Amino acid sequence: MDEMTMLRDLGRELEHEPPPTLVRQRRRMLGARRRRIGWLPVSLAAAATAVAILVPVLLAGGGTATRVREPEGVRPAVVAGAVNILVVGSDSQAGTPRLGKGERGDALLLVHVPEDRKAVTVVSIPRDSMVKLPACGGGRLDMINAAYDRGGLRCTWTTVEQLTGLRIHHAVAFDFSGFEAMVDALGGVEITVPKPVDDPRSKLRLDKGRQTLTGRQAVAWARLRDYGDGSDLHRIRRQQQLMAAMARKARQTLSDPARLRDFVAAVRRQVTTDEGFDLETMYGLAAGMGGSTPTFVTVPVRQYSPDPHRVEWLQPDAARLFKTLK
Amino acid sequence: MTAPPITRVEDSDIVRRSLTEPEAFATLFDRYSGMIYRYVSRRVGPEHAEDLVGETFMVAFSRRRHYDLNYPDARPWLFGIATKLLSRHHRSEAARYRALQRSPVEEHVEFPADAVAAGVTAQAARKALAEALAALSKRDRDALLLYAWSGLTYEEVARALDIPLGTVRSRLNRARRKLRAELGGADPMREEA
Repeated sequence: MDEMTMLRDLGRELEHEPPPTLVRQRRRMLGARRRRIGWLPVSLAAAATAVAILVPVLLAGGGTATRVREPEGVRPAVVAGAVNILVVGSDSQAGTPRLGKGERGDALLLVHVPEDRKAVTVVSIPRDSMVKLPACGGGRLDMINAAYDRGGLRCTWTTVEQLTGLRIHHAVAFDFSGFEAMVDALGGVEITVPKPVDDPRSKLRLDKGRQTLTGRQAVAWARLRDYGDGSDLHRIRRQQQLMAAMARKARQTLSDPARLRDFVAAVRRQVTTDEGFDLETMYGLAAGMGGSTPTFVTVPVRQYSPDPHRVEWLQPDAARLFKTLK
Repeated sequence: MTAPPITRVEDSDIVRRSLTEPEAFATLFDRYSGMIYRYVSRRVGPEHAEDLVGETFMVAFSRRRHYDLNYPDARPWLFGIATKLLSRHHRSEAARYRALQRSPVEEHVEFPADAVAAGVTAQAARKALAEALAALSKRDRDALLLYAWSGLTYEEVARALDIPLGTVRSRLNRARRKLRAELGGADPMREEA
């Protein structure tokens, strides 16, 4: 065996396969290019895509939505071009706050829209994550959704900024009842159910297979607890599946202006946003987004050893993920 | 039945198109990011490989106006950029070779009867190889590994490193000589060539 053969063998031994995350570098490359001057004409299809991607966000416009102010004090630096949006889906029932006056964050998402507005990444943050909360959330190690419970959207905003080091430009909270209306305005969403569901609590009954869910069914599906392996992560996957299905459906149906109007009207009242996030800003964001499918990822976590029902962020993986979004 | 003509869009066409449509450049990423990843992962390990691939394509993208459109194949150009960027990671690369010199790694041996002898030999040889790689000058190592690990020809290595063909030959000869010397010393069962 000559030295070149041995060297080639050694090379093969040292080689690693490219990970799926490599695609982020593609985005990084395209994100590096200078932004074109002037707004692209906003097509309804593009807006529709954004509607579905940024789940309830569109809904900001009008004067009826509740507003919160941006956090104060020291905050992560603004990165030119990219926009990060925090989306909190809460599980209080509209009008009947079962949980007292606090609302629990039930779905916590960070939507990253890069400068070129193309490859949107949606990061799900497990609500059972044990994290150090800022003063507004009690200042202790606790579940991340306690921040919403104690300090509302603004406190969750601060918490996520501190944990990720990412500047969050806008924040939106919506109730699942808004989600229900949104799905109905789309005419339902089509998803695949891997095994039959019969959940007495939510009265959700579904057969196995591909089917169209109504708003009510979709919400029950997203919140189902005793299904799959019963974990929060499993639920996150279902929520991601649902969002992707909504993005698809939105692209098909919302090119019709009448339907888009219905859609916006259907959900407008159920959301809270920050003051700077109006419909115009939203449409601006939507401009370059048409046709792209968002990437859904989850913060890497592992079981929290003092309590197996909770998780903690896996480092340095989590930090690395957020670094790629800078 | 006649097969439809296969027309390959050359890399140079993609670069040309990307001058007016920047998004077109993504096709080059799709074609070669995996290949560049494998190469740099060999040299500096997976911890830095992803970032390096990203940087390689960012540099390539920003320098696409300087691409010589007479070359249809962009691989040497991309490997050249990656090689330059690799030099920033020389510490990780050196650490990798040092680790190889220390740690035993499972060997796949073709003839079980000779497993013990072959295993010992292969392992000793690997250590010697790692040692020799670490001892090479950066220039010689770049030329050698581009040729051995990326599948480029001599001409393409010359283009990647922007050096004359004769220089590639001399660097490769020197590097191979050093490898042989190191291996000869490590392997008593090896016959003199």
